[in-house]
Amino acid sequence: MKRRSILGAAALAALTTAFNPAAAVADDHAFTIALIPGLTTDAFYITMERGARAAADALGVELVFQGAPDFNPVTQVPVLDAVIARAPDAILIAPTDTVQLIEPLRRAHEAGIPVITVDTFIGSGVYQTGAGDADFPLSYIASDNVLGGRIAARALANAIGGEGKVFVSNVNPGISTTDQREEGFKLEMAENFPGVEVLETQFNENDANNAASQLQAVFARNPDLRGVFGANLFSALGSANGVEQAGQTGNIRVVAFDAPTSIVDNIESGLVDVAIAQHPAEIGYFGVVAAFAHLTGQSIPVAIGTGFTIIDAGNVNDPEVARFIYSD
Amino acid sequence: MTSSPQPPAPGSSGSGPSADQIAIAPPADHGAGKLSLLQQIALLRAWLFLAALILGFEIWARADFGGTFLFNPFNVQSIAIFAVVPLLLAAGQTFVIISAGIDLSLGFIMGLAAVVAAHTVNWAGGFMSPPMAVVMGVCAAIAVATIPGLINGLLVARLKVPPFIGTLGMFGVCRGAAFLLANGTTVPVRNSALSAIGNGRFMNVPYIVIIAVVFVLILHYLLSQTRFGQHNYAIGANEQAARRAGIDVKGHLTKLYVLSAVCAGLAGFLYTARFSAGAAQAGEPLLLDSVAAVVIGGASLFGGSGTILGTVAGALVIAVIQYGLVFLNVKPFWQFISVGVVIIISVLIDQAQRNYGGGRQSE
Repeated sequence: MKRRSILGAAALAALTTAFNPAAAVADDHAFTIALIPGLTTDAFYITMERGARAAADALGVELVFQGAPDFNPVTQVPVLDAVIARAPDAILIAPTDTVQLIEPLRRAHEAGIPVITVDTFIGSGVYQTGAGDADFPLSYIASDNVLGGRIAARALANAIGGEGKVFVSNVNPGISTTDQREEGFKLEMAENFPGVEVLETQFNENDANNAASQLQAVFARNPDLRGVFGANLFSALGSANGVEQAGQTGNIRVVAFDAPTSIVDNIESGLVDVAIAQHPAEIGYFGVVAAFAHLTGQSIPVAIGTGFTIIDAGNVNDPEVARFIYSD
Repeated sequence: MTSSPQPPAPGSSGSGPSADQIAIAPPADHGAGKLSLLQQIALLRAWLFLAALILGFEIWARADFGGTFLFNPFNVQSIAIFAVVPLLLAAGQTFVIISAGIDLSLGFIMGLAAVVAAHTVNWAGGFMSPPMAVVMGVCAAIAVATIPGLINGLLVARLKVPPFIGTLGMFGVCRGAAFLLANGTTVPVRNSALSAIGNGRFMNVPYIVIIAVVFVLILHYLLSQTRFGQHNYAIGANEQAARRAGIDVKGHLTKLYVLSAVCAGLAGFLYTARFSAGAAQAGEPLLLDSVAAVVIGGASLFGGSGTILGTVAGALVIAVIQYGLVFLNVKPFWQFISVGVVIIISVLIDQAQRNYGGGRQSE
C-alpha cells in the first residue's frame, strides 16, 4: 500500500507540473489552449482538431482536445468544468446550447480564461457589445450556416431547373447550426426561386433509417417531389438511400450539408448530387491563431467567417476540392 | 403466481427429460400444442391493433386527399424496409424480455457490428472478390457481436449482475469500442456486392426484407417449437422453479444474451449494406423502439410471456405510425406522442388481462 501511495503522489506531482500553465509559462512561455468540440465522435470536429493542431504546432502552443461523445450540454458542461479546473490559457469551444452554456462559460471568463466560440455560439453569437449576459466571448469563428443553407438552396434549385417540390431533412429542432441551415435554405427559396415549393421539414433524430423512410413517405404523398436537402450527415445519407430505394435516383435530387468521406462516395456513385463542405480545419486553425493573437497582446475580430466549398460529380476528384473532404 | 404464463407449445419438443415438462406444465387444463386463451388474445391484440391502425390511416388518406394508404405498393415496401433493422433488434430483445431480463446494449452492439462489417469488407475486398469480402463482413459482424453478448450472459448468469446494470455497462463498452474502431466518424464501404444486398430486390421484394423474414421465422420456431424456447418461458415465469426442475438456467441465460447480440450483429451488417457505410451510432435511436415493439407485441416486462409474432406486429405498429404520419402530412412531433400513447395503451391492456384472468404477477 505504501508503494502505491508513493506512486500516486508521484503521478499527482507529474500531473500538477504538466497541467499548471503558470509553471509552463515560467519555463518556456508555451501557451496551453483547450479545444472543446460539440462532440468528439464526428468527422467535422476531428477535422477541426487537425486544423487547430496545425496552427498549434506552427505557433509552439500546446493544444488540449477534450469533449463529450454526444452533442449535449449535460455531457459537455462537466468536460468544460474539468478543463477550467486545469486552467488553460484560453478555451475554444463549440457550445452545445445557446443558453445552457452561458453560465458554465462565464465561470471560465471570471477565472480570467479568454473564451472563443467555434462552429456554434452562445446568446446571439454577437460578442463584445456590452449588451446582454453572453457577450463576454472574444470572438465567434464559424461558417455562416444561414449562408450555407442559401448555397444549398441555390444548388438544389439549379439542379431541378428552379421548379418543383422539395423538403428539408433535419436532425432535431433547437440546434443552432442546423436550424440556421434550414432557415437560410427556406429564405433563399422564398426570395429567389418562386417556382420551388418547400414542404414541411422532417426531423429524423439523426437516424439514417428514419430519414430514408421519411423521404419515401413524402415521395409517396408527393409523387412530383424533386429534391431534398439533408441538413447533416445522417439526414443526407438516409435521404439518399430513400431516393435509391424509391428508384428515383437522378429524378429526386439530393443536396447534402457537410462532406465526410461517406457522402463523397455517394457523389461518385450518383446518389448525392451536391455536398456543401464547410471548412472545419480552417475554423480550428483560425481559432488557435485568434487565441494566440489575444494572448500575445494583439486585438482580434469579434467574428471570423470561414468558407464553403461546393462539391459535385464534376469536381470531386480535383485535389483542390478533395482537400475539403472531412477526414481523420 | 396463479396466472402463470404458458409456454406456447408444452410437450411439443417431445423426447426431453420429463422433469422439464413437469416444471413448466400449465396448472390449468391446456392441451399440448395449444395457446391459452389469454395468450391468443395477447398475440392477436397487437395484430388487431395494427389492422385498426392501418384501417384508420386508410380512411384518413381517403378523406384527406382521396388517395390510398395500404393499397399503394410503394408504401408497403417502404414500411417493410423501414421495419427491418428495428425488428431484428426487437426479436432479440423478445427472448431476453421473456426471460425477465432486458438488453440495453443491443443498439451499440449493432453499431459495433456495423463498423466492424464495414472495415472487414473494405479490408477483405483488397484481396478477395467482392461477394467473398461480403461473406467475410457478415461473419465478422456476427462474430464480433457474440463477444459483448457472451460477456452480458456471463455477467447476468454467473455473476448475478442485474440485466439492466450489466447490459448498461456493455452499452458503454460497445459504444466506446465502436467509436474507437470507426475513429469517431462513419466508415464508408465501396463494394458493389454489399450495396446489391442492401438495396437490391428479388421479384420486387428487397433482399434485406427477405433476410429479415427468414431470420425472424427461425427465431419464431426457436421460441415456440423447441426446448430452448420452453426453457425461456419457464425461466422468465419462475427462475427458482425452473432451476429446481433441472433446467440449466445459467447456461440458458448465457446463450440467450449471445442470441440477442447475434440479432443485433445481423442488424448492424444490414445497416452497413444498405447505407454503404458503418456508423457507430447506427442503433442508438433504435434501442427504446425495440423495447417498445416487444411490449406492444404483448410481452410482459416481468417475464414469462411474449411471442416473436407479437413483436413483429409491435415493430410494424411503430413503423406504420412513423411512416403513416409523414405520409399524411402530420406535424412531425405527433409521431412521438402517438408511439408513446400506443405503448401505454398496450401495457394497460396487458394489466387488464392479468386482472381479468384472475391472477396477478406478484412482482
